[in-house]
Amino acid sequence: MADFIKHPVVELPDRKPEPVFGPDELVFSEDEKAQVKTWISRYPTADGAIMRGLWLAQEKFGFLPPEVIQLVADEIGIPYANAYGVATFYTQYFKEKKGTYVLDVCTCFSCQLCGGFDMLHYLEEKLGVHKGETTPDGDFTIQEAECLGACGSAPMLQITNGPFVHNLTEEKIDALVDALREGQMPAFTSVTLPQDEDELGGNRRTDVSATDTYSVRPVSETVR
Amino acid sequence: MAKVTIDNQTFEFEGQEKLLQFCLDHGVDLPHFCYHPSMSAPANCRQCLVEVGMPQMNRETGQPNMDEDGNTVIQFMPKLQTSCSMQMSDGMVVKTHCSSETVKRAQKDTLEFLLINHPLDCPICDQAGHCPLQNQAYKHGPEGSRFEFEKVHKPKHIDLGPRVVLDGERCINCTRCIRFTREVSKSDQLTIIERGVKNYPMTPPGVEFDEPYSMNVIDICPVGALTSKDHRFKARIWEMSKTASISAVGAKGSNCDYWVKDNLILKVTPRTNMDVNEYWLADEERADYKRFNEDRPTSPTVSGADVSWDMAWKAAADCLKEVDGNRVLFLGSAYATVEDNYLLSRLAEAVGSSAPVYLPHVENGHGDDWLRTDDRTPNAQGCERLGIHAVSADDLKARLTSGEVDLLYVMEDDPVASGACSVADLEGIKVVLHHYNTTNATLPAADVALPAATAVETVGTYVNIDGHAQRLRPAKAIAGVNRTLSMEIGKCRADRHGTPFDKWYTESNLVNCHPGWVTIPSIAAELGTEMTYKGPKAIMEEVTASVLAFKGATYDAMGEMGVRLTEAGVTA
Repeated sequence: MADFIKHPVVELPDRKPEPVFGPDELVFSEDEKAQVKTWISRYPTADGAIMRGLWLAQEKFGFLPPEVIQLVADEIGIPYANAYGVATFYTQYFKEKKGTYVLDVCTCFSCQLCGGFDMLHYLEEKLGVHKGETTPDGDFTIQEAECLGACGSAPMLQITNGPFVHNLTEEKIDALVDALREGQMPAFTSVTLPQDEDELGGNRRTDVSATDTYSVRPVSETVR
Repeated sequence: MAKVTIDNQTFEFEGQEKLLQFCLDHGVDLPHFCYHPSMSAPANCRQCLVEVGMPQMNRETGQPNMDEDGNTVIQFMPKLQTSCSMQMSDGMVVKTHCSSETVKRAQKDTLEFLLINHPLDCPICDQAGHCPLQNQAYKHGPEGSRFEFEKVHKPKHIDLGPRVVLDGERCINCTRCIRFTREVSKSDQLTIIERGVKNYPMTPPGVEFDEPYSMNVIDICPVGALTSKDHRFKARIWEMSKTASISAVGAKGSNCDYWVKDNLILKVTPRTNMDVNEYWLADEERADYKRFNEDRPTSPTVSGADVSWDMAWKAAADCLKEVDGNRVLFLGSAYATVEDNYLLSRLAEAVGSSAPVYLPHVENGHGDDWLRTDDRTPNAQGCERLGIHAVSADDLKARLTSGEVDLLYVMEDDPVASGACSVADLEGIKVVLHHYNTTNATLPAADVALPAATAVETVGTYVNIDGHAQRLRPAKAIAGVNRTLSMEIGKCRADRHGTPFDKWYTESNLVNCHPGWVTIPSIAAELGTEMTYKGPKAIMEEVTASVLAFKGATYDAMGEMGVRLTEAGVTA
């Protein structure tokens, strides 16, 4: 107990971090400014545009250190504190520098039962880093994610807030890592529900050729 | 008029009132945390849930449906509603925890959820004893906790700014502090960071929570998450006595409570007065209390030597007798009360001097059109209304150096520190000085120095910048005056239930000083002028009768909230 009091469990995040970007880099182009203006005009008050604005900044700068959040807040014309609160609420906004590809492996209930942790641990061993860490070459960051809404094709992962990779297997992860190292981002994959498989040739969607449907669901090794 | 039925009792109402505020105004004690009358209602604590229903209308006839007994059928909303955000409408029927088991259960369960991650270490928490969460957990909460796992940990003892400390774990995320900085003080320095169970209020990186009103978040925090860096762990709430008085820092006269333990002021908190300061108090008014405790004089002095009060009064009277009345300059004070300034005018009249003047203490650019004012004195308006007018420092210096003054009588001010003169200028001039602190720079030049009671030790009246006349009450006792016999002093448990023989009874820190309404009549008596009053209340009665600008401003009329004065006194 005494030890706990001396060493609090949760450290306060750095409240005065060194800026990553200099004042020369911290500017929006005229096009980006115009874009932000159109977003602002879509909402009754300017703060509606904050999420779009942060997204734009993340695409431009790669991640959102405090000075970038401040830039977005100033551009939209809302208090810095509000923008910072929004940015910290969403895990999809990266507050620190990540690898080129951020692999969010889902370990929520469905994925966990179907082997989400197996996949996470395999990926950790393969890349030699733990979850939350970035590989030394700066290519990959592994993260453990909560439900990403693709329980039908569990286990799954998401690449840098973008495409999902469904029905993960170890072979699939090997292929994925190799492809990403060569700079090939997997395409969007459509998934159907099992009960739909008999109709419309297994898929209600128009992009049937892009579907990837398993009829046998994988089961976690730990459950097995 | 529109009607609403709350717990089978019917009330009439007008306008667009919110249900929670209406209940609180009408004596229905609904528990709540996040709601504050001066801010928006986000309805995020879920503690004020009630059952709300409306009469069931017949679609064909447009009339309310009746049951077999002829009563209106009430259609209740399927879920409980947060009363803080519920707009009242005609015919609404409300069931609170007083009449509904569902509501009672909901409030109990909400508290159980709030307490899951809230540390249950009330005995070491600074808020214990005046904690809404603690009180409501006792009144409405569950018996014990079913949560047997490790609680979520968050950062603790964070210095949000120079005056406010945050304990992240105690926070229940009511967002009152965030809404205060967004909607009231408009500094926008706080936000809730992170999400889910991990969230807590914080400043964004690189920002200090440093604004002139930051400490108000400590008062509105419903738990012990935000505490004052200055006051935390100094005293328990029940060890202190609380006296309703007014702040003596600026000309706004913000209403406040002074908290006293062992005859020391330990804390100043706002007192609600919608005509003056609403619910708030500026940080400078809270930080100012140390001058009431420290550097206080121990005894009256004549030519630097400690003497008894009788000798000091005699010495002051001798000074006044020795010189010609029109060669005496009386300096009133915007720090002193209306009563004391009035008595000084009477003393000046009695010795044949011209009316007193006072030194204004104005700091241009300090004010902000809210609670902070350019004028750094509490009673300049009161002086003006008494016919005591401001004299600039230069004019005062000119008069003192011209040789036309033989005696300077200074009441509760410091002409040397305010730059009106130097100690050298006062050579050859006799000085009688009423002073608060030993740091008074005029003190070395004073022939007779009389320790004066400060704003927290006296009874009196201040008139604020808007002409609002308000009463000062003594928060702490002075030497020679029994606390419990002292007029209108706030009582603590020891005052009410203790005796001077209790081991915790203390007479330490009693300052040997007298208020102006004791000192000036005593000097006048030595001069042979009769100035007998039964205390400041009687003085104020005479002021209201003789000065038109104070007509009607008696102690009874002022009460706790004060009265607004016009040129012709109280008119409304």
